[in-house]
Amino acid sequence: MPPVADMPAPGFTLPSTTGAPVGLSELLAGGPAVVMFVTDDCPTCELTLRRLGAVGADVTVVCEAPPAAASRLAARTGFGGRMLSEPAPYDTSRAYGLDAVPTTIAIAPGGVVAGTVVGWDAAALSALVGLDLGPEPPARKPGCAAKSTYDAAQLAADGGTGDDDPEAMFELGWTDGLPTIAPTPERVAAMLAGRDPAASLGPVAPGMGEATLERVAACAVLAGCRPGHFPIVEAAVRAMLEPAFNLHGQAVTTQPAGQIAVVNGPIRRSAGLNAGMGALGPGARANATIGRALRLVVALTGEGMPGRLDRSTLGQPGKVGTCLAEDEERSPWPPLHTERGLDADQSAVTLLAGDAPLSISEHRSRTPEELAAALGWAAATLWAPNWWPIGAATLFVICPEHADTLAVGGWSKDDVRRAIWEAVQRPAGELRHGEFTARVANAPDAELVPKWDAPGDILLVVAGGEAGRFSAVFGPCVGMDWIPITQEVRCDT
Amino acid sequence: MRYVSPYDPGARTPVTPAPRPDALAGRTVALLDISKNRGAEFLDRVERNLRDRGAAVERFAKPLFSRPAAGELIERIAARADVAVEGLAD
Repeated sequence: MPPVADMPAPGFTLPSTTGAPVGLSELLAGGPAVVMFVTDDCPTCELTLRRLGAVGADVTVVCEAPPAAASRLAARTGFGGRMLSEPAPYDTSRAYGLDAVPTTIAIAPGGVVAGTVVGWDAAALSALVGLDLGPEPPARKPGCAAKSTYDAAQLAADGGTGDDDPEAMFELGWTDGLPTIAPTPERVAAMLAGRDPAASLGPVAPGMGEATLERVAACAVLAGCRPGHFPIVEAAVRAMLEPAFNLHGQAVTTQPAGQIAVVNGPIRRSAGLNAGMGALGPGARANATIGRALRLVVALTGEGMPGRLDRSTLGQPGKVGTCLAEDEERSPWPPLHTERGLDADQSAVTLLAGDAPLSISEHRSRTPEELAAALGWAAATLWAPNWWPIGAATLFVICPEHADTLAVGGWSKDDVRRAIWEAVQRPAGELRHGEFTARVANAPDAELVPKWDAPGDILLVVAGGEAGRFSAVFGPCVGMDWIPITQEVRCDT
Repeated sequence: MRYVSPYDPGARTPVTPAPRPDALAGRTVALLDISKNRGAEFLDRVERNLRDRGAAVERFAKPLFSRPAAGELIERIAARADVAVEGLAD
């Protein structure tokens, strides 16, 4: 039962939605005070706040909700008075013995209760606050159960702790523009699965925030990852923080580049990554959230938030996160991670810096030579039409039908790379328009300049649906002194 | 708030810039070329203008625009100059 007249009012100090914490003693310093307990999802509480707000009543509201939710309640009811927040476990509400909300309590300067009104009662509340709340009906309206009375099942149905509202994440700025999952300690602990939360993977450029595993796990939770995805996220962050990857340049540039994660090995299956139809998304949680977690580590832990330290002129949608898996079983060639020194039965993530994928439709080529040339020429305008060689590793995603055509006659990945490289070469004299490289500027007119310095700059993975002759190429981040980095994904850490 | 923050509070401490001098005459200005295309052209003009105002000028350069300046370079600039100007160009 709530306190009635002449009982002592329990003391409290609670955070205000507008600033510093506020204590009961402070409220009573200037004379009697009226304290009203509400929740953020009770129609009677909203009615009461609207009516009190309309007459400017001097009431201090304690809302059983996090500050963000309390702020929204104030905004939608037009209540302009003092609003305090009491998130779970609702100790103050419990100390006041609340059964229902709203409960409005007048407290005399000595800290003694002068009167209590439960629910909406226009006449009783008018008397309690000393203002006429008006004759509009209803005269009375019962309230809702106080959250402090909820049992565990009700709390779970209410969203666990009441901290789950995606709006709270938006208000904190812990988002890439899409809703995020609140990184509660329980969720972060589940993501860490026993790893040392304080262990650090290193500082994250550009803001150099330390990527402790706990912060990386918080980003993974925000992104919507499952704990089974975390080993990939961790390995990708390790790769991203290698000095040779030069995240700093990528994170602050006016270019649109983001970070692209390519996953190989057995973990593709256990993590639920889609390497088949629609492999570049959307649709698969693992692909979408792992790539997103990586980007949130850059934007939040690394402070590389677009519009702040991230100065990208346009950005691009793939910068929300890009993670793909190679369809090793469908590929006629050895998988990417084995080309980069790992064994086929190891799991790995390879990180690249690049733009959104450019789709390449090619339905007529019937020989590997024709198709390699078509794929290569589609990529010839990457970065800028006359910027040859492009000077950065370029990732092609070859669809299964194209892979079949390219592998006819036993062509290896190296054969495909060489064919693309040899096909896409132009005389320097034809490239001197607009933006061009020093090599083009200095070469004799007739000298052939390739789009890539060497075939090794061309990376190939196979992914995508069985039907359709659509491959893709990711334009690389250029001029940033980065190289692709491959890290083993370890599940035993 | 009972969330695990993705931020590192240690990294969010703002750095306070040195006080702005009231005049440049008689002071040494460091011009840092970050090695972007045509950055030197821009800084050449800035250097002339600064010398016309009576400032001494020292030129410095980063080897690559896309990586942060080395601590040693920043310390050298701080030791030798009163004011630093960084030139970005393209």
